[in-house]
Amino acid sequence: MLGRRPLDNLDIPTLLAVLALVGLGMLAIASATVEQPGREGLWQRQLLWLAVGAMLASVVFIVDYHFWAEFSLALHGVVILLLVMVLFVGTEVGGNRSWLVAGPVRLQPSELAKWTTCLVLASYLTNRVRGSMGLRQMVEMGVLVGAPVVLIALQPDLGTALIFIPIYMAALLLGGLRWKVIVSLILAGVLLAPVVWMQLEDYQRERILTVFDESRDPSGVGYQVRQSKIAIGSGELTGKGLFQGTQSRLNFLPAQHTDFVLAVLAEELGFLGAFAVLGLFYYLILRAVVAGRSSQDRLGTYICLLVAAWITGQAAINIGMVLGLLPTIGVPLPFLSYGGSALVAAACGVALILNVRGRRFVNV
Amino acid sequence: MDYRERWELKEFLIEQRLERRVTLFHAGALLLLLSYLLAFWFLQVARGEEFARLAETNRLREIPLLPTRGVLLDRRGEIIASTRPSLRLLLRREGLVDRDEQLRRLEDVLAVPYENLLERLDQASSQPVFEPAVLKEDLSLGELAPIEARREWFPSVEFEQTARRTYPFGAIASHVLGYVGEVSERELVAQASEIPLYRGDIVGKSGIERQYDEGLRGRRGSKYVTVNSLGRQLGEGRSARAPINGGDLQLTLDLQLQRTLVEALGDEVGAGVFMDPRNGEILALASTPTYDPNIFAGKVSPEAWTAILHDPRRPLHDRAIASFYAPGSTFKVVMAIAGLETGTVSPSTTVTCNGSAKLYGRNFLCWKKGGHGTVAIEKALAHSCNVYFYSLGKSMGIEPIHEYGARFNLGSPTGIDLPGEATGVLPSDAWKRKVHGERWYPGETISVSIGQGLLAVTPVQLANAMSGVATGKLPKPHLVLGDATEPVDLDLSPEVLRIVRNALEEAVARGTGRRAALEDVVVAGKTGTAQVYKSSAGIDADELPKDERDHAWFVGYAPAEDPRIAFAVVVERGGHGGTSAAPVARQVLEVFFSNKLPRDERDSSLRTGATRYRGIEDVGTAASR
Repeated sequence: MLGRRPLDNLDIPTLLAVLALVGLGMLAIASATVEQPGREGLWQRQLLWLAVGAMLASVVFIVDYHFWAEFSLALHGVVILLLVMVLFVGTEVGGNRSWLVAGPVRLQPSELAKWTTCLVLASYLTNRVRGSMGLRQMVEMGVLVGAPVVLIALQPDLGTALIFIPIYMAALLLGGLRWKVIVSLILAGVLLAPVVWMQLEDYQRERILTVFDESRDPSGVGYQVRQSKIAIGSGELTGKGLFQGTQSRLNFLPAQHTDFVLAVLAEELGFLGAFAVLGLFYYLILRAVVAGRSSQDRLGTYICLLVAAWITGQAAINIGMVLGLLPTIGVPLPFLSYGGSALVAAACGVALILNVRGRRFVNV
Repeated sequence: MDYRERWELKEFLIEQRLERRVTLFHAGALLLLLSYLLAFWFLQVARGEEFARLAETNRLREIPLLPTRGVLLDRRGEIIASTRPSLRLLLRREGLVDRDEQLRRLEDVLAVPYENLLERLDQASSQPVFEPAVLKEDLSLGELAPIEARREWFPSVEFEQTARRTYPFGAIASHVLGYVGEVSERELVAQASEIPLYRGDIVGKSGIERQYDEGLRGRRGSKYVTVNSLGRQLGEGRSARAPINGGDLQLTLDLQLQRTLVEALGDEVGAGVFMDPRNGEILALASTPTYDPNIFAGKVSPEAWTAILHDPRRPLHDRAIASFYAPGSTFKVVMAIAGLETGTVSPSTTVTCNGSAKLYGRNFLCWKKGGHGTVAIEKALAHSCNVYFYSLGKSMGIEPIHEYGARFNLGSPTGIDLPGEATGVLPSDAWKRKVHGERWYPGETISVSIGQGLLAVTPVQLANAMSGVATGKLPKPHLVLGDATEPVDLDLSPEVLRIVRNALEEAVARGTGRRAALEDVVVAGKTGTAQVYKSSAGIDADELPKDERDHAWFVGYAPAEDPRIAFAVVVERGGHGGTSAAPVARQVLEVFFSNKLPRDERDSSLRTGATRYRGIEDVGTAASR
């Protein structure tokens, strides 16, 4: 299980792409927090989190992914227990009860849940789905994903809960759900939309309406989206230069070092900066697909593609929000946004891809 | 196909399907990222400039730089209106601790009740928190010192320098200078002047301040400062446009004469206009009671407003230009000129006055009960014989009276450069048909002949008419030095003017205007009484209660041989012009012709205040934060 071969086959380009994204993120965090008293050192803390992430990712990488898959259900169960705990003894930050604090260790179980969900779904797809996927498999996977989703939604952290949906959808797609079922599901979703709409809180509806009409709420949500668009747009082709973004430095941009960090980069590095970030994300997805295709078994393929779906989905929701194309949902951009747990979780996700890639030759 | 083959086929099909689905996922992710890239392109490249502009306006805020209002000077260069720096007391609302303690201490120092201070603080709560609250305008030194001395007691108190209009001589020239105040909602909407008005601008509300407001006000400049999302200023910005300070204005007013006139009028209600008959320069123009324009310079307290607005004597009203009175006997000057010029009477035509005359079936009285006996025009004018002028008016009719009155510009605005000048009334047949819809009755001419009836003129009209008599040319009264226009020739025969002038000299020397006579200078003048009640005609004014008395006129010019000053003084309820108005004129003339008086004896502290602050150029910029 342990051996030197995986290390020899470490996919350096993937690692570099991730480090480049984290590096850009730290620049943006540093720039965005210069004028914010008490936050000047955040980028250094992000560096610290990167070290923690690297350590845990190494563990994830070194241990064969088959071992992780074997114990995925147990791990998933532990995380679900933690999510239950969080509801009772969690610490509230910004209106969400999502933190478990034990002395110096602060943990966001919802971030861990993304990782275990990918593993447990990959394992399920490998062992339980043969031939095409039936209703039973759909429901069982739905329970595996639904448990953390419901618990996270209760915190209530709807943004994080939302990230599990692309993972689940990718699992259905890869598991071979028949096209007519996919089409019927999409139709059902469209038909159900008004019902969901009725269930939403007023502020959530407002956020959705703002996508179509940003002047709706010039000082509230619409204001955030507008300021984000001004930041991005004013970056023009080449940007205002690092640490020169007026929108972010003068605090016009909301949550500029967390959810809107890409707007800071787009303002300061321009279209070229946005291009670089999107390009790096694409490269990461490409490496995951390559790792998945070249994997020694289907488990590896599923793991790589589900992690890719997680990172793609989360990035897509965040970037869509920053561009004003999606409602404002508190979802960080993987690798770039400030936030320790998210960085560690994403690093562990990438470690799984590297794990699969490193063990692509069966006869280790 | 055995089991193993079937299994392998199934595996193959699953692998194949997975392969396709991975490709599908790959393509979907690529498509998504490409569409986002397109969105970035659209925002940053296609619409980049538009957003760059928006970011600029986000970041930069325009802050006005206020101009300094122009200084007003009298004809000798004395500053009579200027702008001085003023301190206002602010309370920082950010990090405000011990609010109540600080307010209590301020209550003691400022003598403003705690509740009022708290109310002012609350009023500021709608503004961003870094904008401090204004607790007191125009802080005095006595209020500043105790705060500065115990700075630790007032940790949140700040001071800000602002500009404030000041009139160092207070009420002395209030009706000429007028006053300033914050621009009104109506003025903001109207935007009547070429220089745009902004909320909070200080504009002239009356007098010269209003008449020449555009020139005095100057033009706002602005600078751009960088602000953060809360609007807090982060540093000095680049100056976009320097403010253009208002221009100074030198007036024709002689402060010394002005002060003498106001003091001579004293507690009386009335007005006086003194001018240079040769060019129309107003030397002194006063209306009493006056008011102190300084009280309007800042925020006027409602109590002060009410007091002034409800004063029955209407101190804000400028009687010198906006009140009209019957000219009374002063009008006989115009009558005499009209009679002689039209040839209705000759210098030797005589009328016998028995103290009254029966005309159109009515008895008209002369003021002198025994009558003047047989008089020719010069004596009739000098001694103001009513009966002579009844007779003259009757023979002449209303039209020549109107024509010559109009030549002296009576009954129409003189065009003096002050807002709110009244017109008055110079009746004629055409006027009466137009206004009253009926023809002129000859009987009405009789009372007009002695300046009563429908006639109504303003003091400035009469002073100007006296300039015409003094020089034979009618100037245009004005208050800004250097604005003189060529006087209009009245086209009167020198002989007629000589007779009238002699009569006016006689009136002062030996007639009704004796109290205006000076020792060394020959004064020409004419008294007049504007009747208030018809019944009072012929009753000794001094026997009437004050509020039923007539208004008293004294008009004229001096020196008679080479006139350098012409004037009109009216004292409301003054009775005979000779007793109340003539002494006022004499006091002013005395000062005018005497160089012995000290140049000035005004309050020296006010004066140094005015000159000291004049040197500070950037008073107007103090409003920037």
